[in-house]
Amino acid sequence: MKKQAQEIIEKIPGEVYADVRIIENETQSIATKDGIVEALESSTTKGFGIRVLKDGAWGFAGSNDFSKNGIDRTTKRALKIAESSSRHITEKVELAPQKPTVDSYKIRVQEDPFEIPLEEKLELLLAADKAQRVDPKIVISQTSFYARREKKVFASTEGSLIGQEIIWCGAGIEASAAEGQEFQNRSYPNSHGGQFATRGYELIRELDLAGNAPRIGEEAVALLSAPLCPSGEYDLILDSNQLALQVHESCGHPTELDRALGYEASYAGTSFMTPDKLGKLKYGSEIVNMTADATLPGGLGTFGYDDEGIPAQRTYLIKDGVFVDYLTSRETIRELKCQVPSYKKGSNGTMRASSWSHIPLIRMTNVNLESGKSGKLGDLIADTKRGIFMSTNKSWSIDDRRLNFQFGTEIAWEIKNGKLGRILKNPTYQGITPEFWNSCDAICGPSEWIIWGTPNCGKGQPSQVINTGHGASPARFRKVKVGVIKKW
Amino acid sequence: MLGEKRLKEISKQVLGFSKAQETEVLLFVTDRCLTRFANSQIHQNVASEDLGISIRVVTRKKIGVASGNSFEESALKDVVKRAEALARLQKEDPHFISLPTPQPLPKIKSKTLQATPEERASQVWTIIKKSKEKGIVASGAYDSSITEIAVANSHGVWAYHAGGASDLSTILIGPESTGFGSSLAKDPKEIEKETERVVESAIEKVIRGEKPQTIEPGEYEVILEPQAVNEMMSFLAWLGPNARLYHEQASNFSSKLGEDVLGENITIIDDPLNEEGFPMPFDFEGHPKRKLEIIKNGKLLNLTYDSYHAGKHKTENTGHALPAPNTFGPIPLHLRFEPGKKSLEEMIKGVKKGLLVTRLWYVRYLNPRSLSITGMTRDGTFLIKNGEIVAGLKNLRFNQSIPDALKNVVEVGRDLTPLASFETELGTNRMPALHIAGWNFTSTTEF
Repeated sequence: MKKQAQEIIEKIPGEVYADVRIIENETQSIATKDGIVEALESSTTKGFGIRVLKDGAWGFAGSNDFSKNGIDRTTKRALKIAESSSRHITEKVELAPQKPTVDSYKIRVQEDPFEIPLEEKLELLLAADKAQRVDPKIVISQTSFYARREKKVFASTEGSLIGQEIIWCGAGIEASAAEGQEFQNRSYPNSHGGQFATRGYELIRELDLAGNAPRIGEEAVALLSAPLCPSGEYDLILDSNQLALQVHESCGHPTELDRALGYEASYAGTSFMTPDKLGKLKYGSEIVNMTADATLPGGLGTFGYDDEGIPAQRTYLIKDGVFVDYLTSRETIRELKCQVPSYKKGSNGTMRASSWSHIPLIRMTNVNLESGKSGKLGDLIADTKRGIFMSTNKSWSIDDRRLNFQFGTEIAWEIKNGKLGRILKNPTYQGITPEFWNSCDAICGPSEWIIWGTPNCGKGQPSQVINTGHGASPARFRKVKVGVIKKW
Repeated sequence: MLGEKRLKEISKQVLGFSKAQETEVLLFVTDRCLTRFANSQIHQNVASEDLGISIRVVTRKKIGVASGNSFEESALKDVVKRAEALARLQKEDPHFISLPTPQPLPKIKSKTLQATPEERASQVWTIIKKSKEKGIVASGAYDSSITEIAVANSHGVWAYHAGGASDLSTILIGPESTGFGSSLAKDPKEIEKETERVVESAIEKVIRGEKPQTIEPGEYEVILEPQAVNEMMSFLAWLGPNARLYHEQASNFSSKLGEDVLGENITIIDDPLNEEGFPMPFDFEGHPKRKLEIIKNGKLLNLTYDSYHAGKHKTENTGHALPAPNTFGPIPLHLRFEPGKKSLEEMIKGVKKGLLVTRLWYVRYLNPRSLSITGMTRDGTFLIKNGEIVAGLKNLRFNQSIPDALKNVVEVGRDLTPLASFETELGTNRMPALHIAGWNFTSTTEF
């Protein structure tokens, strides 16, 4: 693949910047429902994408055709598109300088998920499917498994040549209970497919899906007759799996510099975290620290180099509650420096494309809420007089500048005098991003910190779905508006 | 494009490689180009071509699916081999009856036209120029794609279709307001004719929305423009008549076939062969599509089935399969309302106090069983008083049951707008504006 990438780069005229990515992907996915394996699929794809910057304008073309004719046609197409773009630009694109890199990177896993016999995976999933059926009110039991291996080569006209191999793996279970018009779900270890990581099959074994399935089934049934989450202002403790998505939506997306500069206005929206607020906005309380860290072992957003050949990095986005940095790229960083002359850093390496057929965009890596000093979840609950503890995301929605959000979770428990009480159904909470994070007064310690994988982050046109990770410990927020939906 | 003859040869070749009792081949050929603009200049201009092959093999009710993106002989053999290996290790699915058998397919006209980079740039430039004249910042995208789809199976099914779609949309940004405009057509020349209207309607929204007011959240009468109706209806399509969810008791319509589920003035049809939209003669199993009345005067008349769920529930396949393996269930992709009699302007005149909503944004279900959704308004929310638009409004969050809204429709609009249902190559809805007596807004945002 490296030789092929270099050969493509050699076809580019001297005055043009270009990079090429050749990507081979292999996936395996399994889904069971009600004791039947309803999806069993193996997929492979291979292709290449050429990005060129000519006369200050971008062109991109991708193809699965590796014949000489296919490579020539695609290269010419990318150049022609750039030429067409260049006739309609008002400002020329410039890239921040970057030293060329020649390297290789590979995610090391203990057990290659593609090497585990399929029979073993089916047995594990079907046992977890069956173990959810603890009550006749369980009407649907489901499990899923997913593994992907990506082999990628990046080469550029600046002399970079980087090979990477990454494995992503994940699994989860979901029980649905029904009685009359009531319908409730519970998932483990997380909703939207479970837990995902840059790890091997050892992750799946550690999850102990079958061992947790009866509890999940029982909780789904208990939710059918549970009281509705009350409406009003409550102290809210969020479990780390819900906080992961809260961080994703309310910090990860608004700190993408392309959004903040207006480049996603036509689809995903813009950001309230505009460059004039950099270093000034009190985003959260002083205990709130958030990082973007593509180097975290096991994180779903972990890699060696981004799709511009920039090494993976750890960057503070929020430091002691203050907004201090963005997720950046070589192109956007130059524009940021024009608007904020005191900003001196280079790209922090967050450009990624979901496949060879897409251009790289600024994407979250592992965007984390750093752990705090409030011990374990039990300590935090014990320290809360009247509140609600919510776990496992069910619905999520946020406005196009990332201010007004509303989340629903699968389950909640009331907290009375430092103790967990009744289960509450249909919990929701709502807020405005900086008000919400400024109400954070306690974050649990490192022992409760988990990196959750979010495999379904969407952005861009054409739409690109990418893997991101989010580390978080449970945290408490004071006087949050909960139970905002009265009618179900 | 490879054309029907070449895809048929590839299908025959693949079916010859398979030793399974039943084999299905699904082939895709795509070429997609997109020009994107923001901050009043083109910042992204891309094209990509790809092939897709997906093989489903079934032996003794054991099903395996494998896919790839090369039509080289060795790659085709490899995909078949992988699908067979999975099927061998699979458990029996007692509900599986058979892959579809050949049926006559409806004849439709197809157009495979694609905008050139110059054509895309030219329309985008028109939007940028017109907006700049008003001091407005332009963003948007012009997407133009061609897709060929072919399905063959070992029972003799052969189905081929090729189509093109061009989709221009813009979001214009003023100091305190935004506006949206779009056009979707089979022929880029149609887009060229529509560009002025697209930009002018978006400019009008920006100007009308200047100095937006904050309105107290609560239940308001609304007019949802077609784009907003489409965003709502994608949830009804997925969670409503879908046979899988219906029989799992997970749909709001479960156990209500033949009953009144929406208002009497609501008739919803899946209309895949209508030339006014983007016709599609067959589903992803090669089974013929046809017009299907899902809701007739508020009554649930029909559910959507694929071969698996039709076999499982011993009923007729309605041609709503998605590509295998499909864990979503059979979904209608060409919905339209039976239109009413009034234009949008006439509908606005009928509102004493209410809101006009251009688009919904970040819509998610709260509860699939009650078909309740949440989301924000976006790119043009206005206050209507005594039949006139009197002010722009800051955006609001809503929490709303879709069946409740569709039991409460005052007026269905006269004009149906073609809008992508999921992805343009999959299907296209045609949606009217809806005047709804009550819509629940629960909070506001800062812009």
